[in-house]
Amino acid sequence: MKKLLLLALALVLAVCVSAASAKDVVIAFSQIGQESDWRTANTDDLRSAIENHAGWKLVYDDGQQKQENQIKALRNFITQNVDYILFTGVVSTGWDEVLKEVNEAEIPLLLIDRIPDCADKIDYVAAFGGDFVEEGRRQVAWAGEYLKKAGRGDEDVNIVIMEGTTGASAQTGRTEGNLKALKEYPHLKLVGQQSGNFTRAEGQAVMESWLKSIDKIDVLIAQNDDMALGAIDAIKAAGKVPGKDIIIVGCDSVKAAFDAIVAGEMNCTVECTPLYGAFVVPTIEALERGEKFDKTVVHPEEGVFDVDGGIDLGTVKSVKAADVISQRRY
Amino acid sequence: MAGKKFDVSGIMQSKVTWAVIAEALILLVCFIIRPDFFSISYQPSTGMLYGSLIDIVNRSAEITIISMGMTLVIALGGTDLSVGALVAVAGAIALKFLRWDVLTYTTPGDYTVYPYILVIAVPLIVCALMGLFNGFLVAKGGIQPIIATLILMVCGRGVAQILTDGKQFTTGYSPFRVIGQGSFLCLPMPIVITIIVVIAVALFTRKTAFGAFVESVGVNPSASRLSGIKAGNVILIVFMITGLLSGIAGLIYSSRIMSNDSNNAGLNFEMDAILAVVIGGTNMAGGKFSLTGTIVGSLIIRTIVTFVYYFGIVAEATMAFKALIIAVVIVLQSEPVRRYFAKRAALRQGGARA
Repeated sequence: MKKLLLLALALVLAVCVSAASAKDVVIAFSQIGQESDWRTANTDDLRSAIENHAGWKLVYDDGQQKQENQIKALRNFITQNVDYILFTGVVSTGWDEVLKEVNEAEIPLLLIDRIPDCADKIDYVAAFGGDFVEEGRRQVAWAGEYLKKAGRGDEDVNIVIMEGTTGASAQTGRTEGNLKALKEYPHLKLVGQQSGNFTRAEGQAVMESWLKSIDKIDVLIAQNDDMALGAIDAIKAAGKVPGKDIIIVGCDSVKAAFDAIVAGEMNCTVECTPLYGAFVVPTIEALERGEKFDKTVVHPEEGVFDVDGGIDLGTVKSVKAADVISQRRY
Repeated sequence: MAGKKFDVSGIMQSKVTWAVIAEALILLVCFIIRPDFFSISYQPSTGMLYGSLIDIVNRSAEITIISMGMTLVIALGGTDLSVGALVAVAGAIALKFLRWDVLTYTTPGDYTVYPYILVIAVPLIVCALMGLFNGFLVAKGGIQPIIATLILMVCGRGVAQILTDGKQFTTGYSPFRVIGQGSFLCLPMPIVITIIVVIAVALFTRKTAFGAFVESVGVNPSASRLSGIKAGNVILIVFMITGLLSGIAGLIYSSRIMSNDSNNAGLNFEMDAILAVVIGGTNMAGGKFSLTGTIVGSLIIRTIVTFVYYFGIVAEATMAFKALIIAVVIVLQSEPVRRYFAKRAALRQGGARA
């Protein structure tokens, strides 16, 4: 009886596998987890873009913020012999081994959002991601240009930088951009730099301490909106007015940040779009047609949103947040 | 000489003493670098006391509350790894009742979809039941606590994510804000809740025989059973209390940020809670426990974090810095060091008397 059951199970499995491999293009996606609204929008957009595409099948794995989970998922994808692997790594190091295995299995690799440190040593088809250094530059440049416009261009201004999770490529890139841009605005004085781990709770706690240890803070650069939103609560608790006493520049452009900007509690958010579906799908279609890619880097177009709009940052001009809030999807 | 003599040697042998000394040393370093670290003022706009020391106590609330339960679990000779995940579960349930369906109620605001009583009661009940589940596996299933609680540690966050469709819900409901950001008698509400919890647990364990039961079961379950203590029930109650306390901590955490954060809420709280208990002098092998020591342990952990933020230790060095301080604290508490100081104290005392 047991043997019969096993046999039946094996048959069903075999039929399933052959049915899937016969026609469907199987695309596997190893995602970090659901750390923020941004990540959720990123996941939803890619999932719906792939699942709604005729003849494509998605195998999705949620890594729950753990590298070992993601490594396991990638090895599973190799065993299942999927056609494409989309990958976002929770940290930037430690992927050499498993990504080499992906290369050996000759499965085309598409890097989403974060590029691991070992990118030089492995083969990948394309990398989709925001230009983190440029985003960091825009954050500081916006503050500099905004102050100039407000007639405070020559005033000495104290600025604090709240960094993301130490070692994440968004943190290293944005910090590089932040610091590079600070050199162009010598009157912006860096008085604090600390990690808020990209979360609201830690953003709140870090700001709370800064408000006590640093005498005067004029500008807060938060490397994501969640930390900025957490900091807003801490600023209120200290009896200061967020957005006025302290100018707050976030990053990512999530819906909650737009709400805060419209409410006057936040000043600006630099976009880091999570909507990659529109860029990833054509690439896979082209690969299916047999076109060749070699480590192509695709930066999606991104904007800057603030209270009044019209601040020129060289590469981009800011847009009034209230005008576009109704079109935001995340 | 008649009367009780002041036993310096005994005090120097106590781990709690060393925890207090360690905390005092860290604060002393803070004071030397920046005396205004100790300044406390009244903040009229929020009606609360304002200062770094207040921050330390306020932000240590979640760990202190959880570690009250963890102390009892460790006194039983076990550990509860699920507390951090339960923090996430509590937050997810609360936000689920506040927002229910973000596609129908699209913008966060000062409203709740379901009555406020459900927002508070359901997370607490569910967490208590999850604690009871842990206790059941340990007491009735005979599974080792570390394995039994691993189950909810792993799947708890999954449950939290399913509840909110993997999304981060945000709310603006003001009665909910009171839990984490409100105040009572000029004190931040989390501190008030912590005081109530500590008093409740202390009364329950020290004014009834329950504390003695816990220690007895922790030292020798079979002997306790033979002397008429229902070890199984003691275990069930202790795990249920820990679950409930994790739920309370979860409500505080999510009220502070007015949203659920299933991935980060309570992350590594089990480690911090165990550390707080161990620094506080309770032995991992079970037996005697010290709630006072645990509170000091929890404060030490938070003082280190606040120190890092306040004095701007570079982000990359933060982890190493925390580890270094904790290593020093643990070494100070180790048997040889304590015995050395106790011997010296005894010698000095003896010398003075002679």
